[in-house]
Amino acid sequence: MASGGSGKTYSFKVVLLGEGCVGKTSLVLRYCENKFNDKHITTLQASFLTKKLNITGKRVNLAIWDTAGQERFHALGPIYYRDSNGAILVYDITDEDSFQKVKNWVKELRKMLGNEICLCIVGNKIDLDKDRHVSVEEAESYAESVGAKHYHTSAKLNKGIEELFLDLCKRMMETAQAEERLKGNGASQSASSRRGVQIVDDEPQATPAGGCCSSG
Amino acid sequence: CLSRSSECVEQVMDQVEKYIMTRLYKSVFCPETTDDEKKDLATQNRIRALHWVTIQMLCVSMDEEIPEVSDNVVKAITDIIEMDSKRVPRDKLACITHCSKHIFSAIKITKNEPASADDFLPALIYIVLKANPPRLQSNIQYITRFCNPSRLMTGEDGYYFTNLCCAVAFIEKLDAQSLNLSPEDFERYMSGQASPRQHDSDAGWPQTGPAPSTVATNTALAQLHDNLEALLGLSSRQENLMEAAQSLQSDLVSWQESVQQEVKDILEKYPLEIRPPAASAIDADNVENDRLPPPLTPQVFAG
Repeated sequence: MASGGSGKTYSFKVVLLGEGCVGKTSLVLRYCENKFNDKHITTLQASFLTKKLNITGKRVNLAIWDTAGQERFHALGPIYYRDSNGAILVYDITDEDSFQKVKNWVKELRKMLGNEICLCIVGNKIDLDKDRHVSVEEAESYAESVGAKHYHTSAKLNKGIEELFLDLCKRMMETAQAEERLKGNGASQSASSRRGVQIVDDEPQATPAGGCCSSG
Repeated sequence: CLSRSSECVEQVMDQVEKYIMTRLYKSVFCPETTDDEKKDLATQNRIRALHWVTIQMLCVSMDEEIPEVSDNVVKAITDIIEMDSKRVPRDKLACITHCSKHIFSAIKITKNEPASADDFLPALIYIVLKANPPRLQSNIQYITRFCNPSRLMTGEDGYYFTNLCCAVAFIEKLDAQSLNLSPEDFERYMSGQASPRQHDSDAGWPQTGPAPSTVATNTALAQLHDNLEALLGLSSRQENLMEAAQSLQSDLVSWQESVQQEVKDILEKYPLEIRPPAASAIDADNVENDRLPPPLTPQVFAG
C-alpha cells in the first residue's frame, strides 16, 4: 500500500507519540497549517492531519496520526501504530520524564514492527534551552543506539520542523523503494506481506504413487 | 491523467463494494460461524455495568453545561447508534466520522482550541459508554473484514475507526487504575453497592462552594430546565399546528360551500334552455342573397 511505482504517489502513515505537554499538537499544527497558539485558529481538530509533498519529482501523501499520550491509554499503542511507515516520538527538552517515555515507546515499536518503521526522536521546545534537562549528547547517542534519527525543534519559533518531516519522508521513500526492489527480485514470498491479504495455495497433497490424475 | 484514472478506480471500487455488500449483508454480518454475537452481548453488558462512570473520571474536556456542547454530544451519540442501520462498510465508517466531527466541535467549543488525540479519545470513550451502540463488536468486525483496506489504513475515516477500536479495547480492559479510583471504590460501583453520584451528594450537601455534587445537580437541573423549555416550545408549536389545521379545515368547508353557492347562482342567472333547432337552409341567414350572381350551372361541351 505504501509503495508505488516510479510514477505513482506514495502514501505514508506516520504516528505521533509523546506525553501530554510535550507540544506534539503544536508541532503538527505548525507543520500542516503554519499556526502556533493562534487564538483565532479555525482548524477543528489536530489529531488527524495530512500534507502533500513533492520530493525529487515524486508525490508523497503524508497522513499524520496523533495518539493519546496519557498513561492510561498506553496499552492501546499497538492498535494505533499498526501498519505505520514512520513514527515521530516527541519529548520536551525541559522534562526528563518525557524522554523516558520516548525510550519506552521505542522499545515497544521495535518489538512490534521491527526495523521496517522509520523512527524520529524529537526534542521539542528548544526555545527554552536555558531550562534544558535532557542533554543533547545523551539524546543523540541514545537515538543512534536504537537506529533512530534525532532532531531538535521549536514549534513556537518554527525551527527544525520542515527538516524533520522532509527527512522522514525521504527515509520512508528509501524504505519503500528497497521493499519494492525486494519484491521485484522475486523474493516476494518471503518479503513482508503485512499490507493486504495474501492468498496462498494449500500445500500440494502428496499424491499416492500411481495416482490416476497425475499429469506429466 | 494518472490521478484521474486512480480516482476512477476508487469510484468503481466503491460502487462494487456497495452492490456486493448490500446483497451479502444478511449472510456475512454477524455470521453464525463466528462468536461475534457473543462478543456483542458481552460488550453490551460491560457498558451497562459501567453506567456509573462520569465524565470527570475520564477527564473529558467537554463541558455539557454549554447548550451547544450538549447538543453536539447528543448528535455524536445518535451518529454512533445509527452505524448499525447502515449496510455498506463505507456508510458505517461515515457514521463514525460524523460522530467524531461532533465530538471535535464539542471539544472546540469547550476549549477554544483544536482537539488533539489526548482530548479526542477520552471523549469518544465517553460517547460510546453513553450510547451503548447496538451490535458494536459485529459492526467493528464487519468493517475490519470487508472495508477497502487502503481506506482503513491511511484515510481520515480509518483514523476515526482506529480510535473507536481503541475506545472499545479500553472499555473492555478498564479497571480502577484507569479511572484513578481505589480498587475498593471501583468494586463497590461495579457491584452496584454504591454510586459515585450518591456517594458524593451525601458528603457534598453540607459543604458550600462548587462541590462535585452541586455541579452534578446543577447540570441535572439545567438539563431539566432545558427539557422543560423544549417541551413548552413543542407544545406551543403543536397548538399552533392544531389551530392552523382547524382553520384549514373550516376554510375547506367554506370553500366547498362557496363553490356550490356560486355554481347555483350561475345556474339560476343563466338557466339552461334547450331550444328546438330551426330547420333552415344553409344560407338562410345571408342578407343580400339577391344581389349575388346566379350560381354556375354545369355545361356540357361537345368534343
